[in-house]
Amino acid sequence: MSDCQNCLLGLRPGISAEIRHFGSIDPALKRRLTDLGISVGSNITVKRYCPCGGPLMLECSGQLFGIRQKEAAEIKVAVS
Amino acid sequence: MNNAALIGNPNTGKTSLFNTLTSSYEYVGNWSGVTVEKKVGHLKNKSGELTDLPGIYTLHPLSRDEGVAAEYLVSDSPSLLVNIVDASQLERNLYLTFQLLEYGKPVVIGLNMIDVAKSNGLSINLEALADRIGVPVMPLVARTGKGAEELLDLISSSSVKAPDFRIDYGNAIEAAISNISRELNSVIPDHISSERFIALQLLERNEAVIRSLKLSDEQIAKVQSICDLAEQRLHTAGTPSTLQEYIRSVRTKHIHEICVTAVDTTHRKPNTLTEKIDAVVTHPIWGIPIFLVFMMFTFKLTFDWLGNPLSDLLESFFSGPLSTWIQNGLVAVGASEFTRALLIDGIIGGVGGVLVFIPQIFIMFLIISFIEDSGYMARITVMMDKIMELAGLNGKALIPFIIGFGCNVPGIMASRSIEQPKERMLSMLLVPLMSCSARLPVYALFAGIFFARAQALVIFSLYLLGIVLALVLAKLFSLFMFKDSKSFFMVELPPYRMPQSTTLFRSTWEKGKGFLRKAGTFILGGSVLIWLLSYVGPGGVADTMDDSFLASIGGLFASLLHPLGFGTWQSGAALITGFMAKEVVVSTMNIIYHVPDMAGLQGQIALAFTPLQAISFMVFVLLYTPCLATVGVLRKETASWRWTAFAVFYSLSLAYIMSFIIYQGGRLLGFV
Repeated sequence: MSDCQNCLLGLRPGISAEIRHFGSIDPALKRRLTDLGISVGSNITVKRYCPCGGPLMLECSGQLFGIRQKEAAEIKVAVS
Repeated sequence: MNNAALIGNPNTGKTSLFNTLTSSYEYVGNWSGVTVEKKVGHLKNKSGELTDLPGIYTLHPLSRDEGVAAEYLVSDSPSLLVNIVDASQLERNLYLTFQLLEYGKPVVIGLNMIDVAKSNGLSINLEALADRIGVPVMPLVARTGKGAEELLDLISSSSVKAPDFRIDYGNAIEAAISNISRELNSVIPDHISSERFIALQLLERNEAVIRSLKLSDEQIAKVQSICDLAEQRLHTAGTPSTLQEYIRSVRTKHIHEICVTAVDTTHRKPNTLTEKIDAVVTHPIWGIPIFLVFMMFTFKLTFDWLGNPLSDLLESFFSGPLSTWIQNGLVAVGASEFTRALLIDGIIGGVGGVLVFIPQIFIMFLIISFIEDSGYMARITVMMDKIMELAGLNGKALIPFIIGFGCNVPGIMASRSIEQPKERMLSMLLVPLMSCSARLPVYALFAGIFFARAQALVIFSLYLLGIVLALVLAKLFSLFMFKDSKSFFMVELPPYRMPQSTTLFRSTWEKGKGFLRKAGTFILGGSVLIWLLSYVGPGGVADTMDDSFLASIGGLFASLLHPLGFGTWQSGAALITGFMAKEVVVSTMNIIYHVPDMAGLQGQIALAFTPLQAISFMVFVLLYTPCLATVGVLRKETASWRWTAFAVFYSLSLAYIMSFIIYQGGRLLGFV
């Protein structure tokens, strides 16, 4: 994951970070995240990674959810 | 007369509350997207009707089930909106609340899961919340029914007034709102009390609203130009966002202010129970093995450990005391031989032969209900997403698949919550390969005879075969039949909760009831018909069953089925009648082999089939044409006869090919 600087994918489980921008993720996914109240500025925590490149589980203000690594690679974050 | 509607975010307990308020029973579970269509019930105190709507985050739909709520608000005229809000996720939930407040009808907020919020360390000031929003707020715990009586009283009192609610969206938007209202004055239905609501939804480009209003092309173009103008004005005023983003940001700013005053988050703490369970069941290495062990346990319990012993007891009752009583009773009243044969051989043989599998079916339903209600279902979708993605599906398709193990019909309906049309279509087409409870009696019968020792393993393998074939076909179909469309996966992971025993048993009973109803209709009717066809033949009453109509109908297919190892008229007849409902395969066999009890039937089948032929037959039953009810719902949900015909055709071909490979391959390997 060396090509992935400051992105959500690559954060170790348990690390929190603030979302800076969503990059080129699927607009429908972006809307889904917005629906859950997740937007630029939200604080997001990586819970764990599924094996074999499967999705990662995330937490944002008490809500747990899962997205794919491909998408997580697009989301740029800043570790606080 | 009241006409209230329940509306709120997914998985906030709307249906639980609906069941309490209306004394009905609708499907509940712990994941987002349980309810996929609107349901209407009568309020318990007979003061009016209540409509349950699929959960939505905003009125702007992304998936098929979400469109239902927006369409309902435009085309129907509820007298009161009951907005169910998850107290533990207040800020997110209030977004929808704001859109509902703009609707201009009376609104009540049911603040559900206050127990969860409390255990997460949140304290919510109800008065402050009600005061800031301007509508009544009722605290609830829908799972236990706490607060439901008070809410019911408030709904029936008709005392709730429409809120005086108005956000100032700034000059550009406000001007656009009045322009749209003026433009569409004539087409907005009379029952819509707020043109402002419609105007805002159009500014947000809500397709469901546009569709429901049935606007002309000219009107759509006009609205579009008003939107473009408003967006331009926003940009010149220094806001570089789209209309949708801007409107959302205005609302969320207000909501945030409300939450800051009404919610105290200083003692917030994580949900430790959920964290602990997740650490085990979604473990990077052990997660999938644990899931497979859990499935194996399910089959062991359903068959070997609990189901079969109970089934044997039931069976000995049907074939022993029950048949004797009826036989004696019929002789006593002087019933004719025909009537006696119809009742004993036709009905008891046909229907009873299927009813003996009640224990296995109910145990399976109980475990499925547990998976649904605990919160584990959403975790399975995450763990399996990678495999599903390789097959051209997404993890969410597992929800229809798992529900399909109970019955394919609700499984196909559950596909509505999948966002991408391609993935939704694929899931619907493939759900029939999930081995439903109706196929279970067939396996239980055959595996019980030929593989008594490894019954659970054999049946587990059949289920697995269905899943593997579904994944392979998903890959094939998505390569050859669908244009490559983008795919994404996002699923909410609800907190775990221990399913309540009452919910669990009710939910099991509701699923099982369908089976019993089928026993009284399709299976009963089918049994009588089959028995009659086996009793008479072209030359009147048949001397032996080989001269009957049933034998000639089944015989038509015997030569076709010969390469699969079961080229007898008996198998042909059982498979044709199995189209009505797959349990009927067992009924037909019971009637054809015309034996007084299960032990006799098992003996007959052991003579008629070899183990290899039995496997081939079970695989054929697993895969061939979905039953009548499934075909009906496929037609309804795909809205296409072509896709429906395709589903029937591919499954029939698949069944033939697989059985052929298994039987002929097995013979080459030296099995018989």
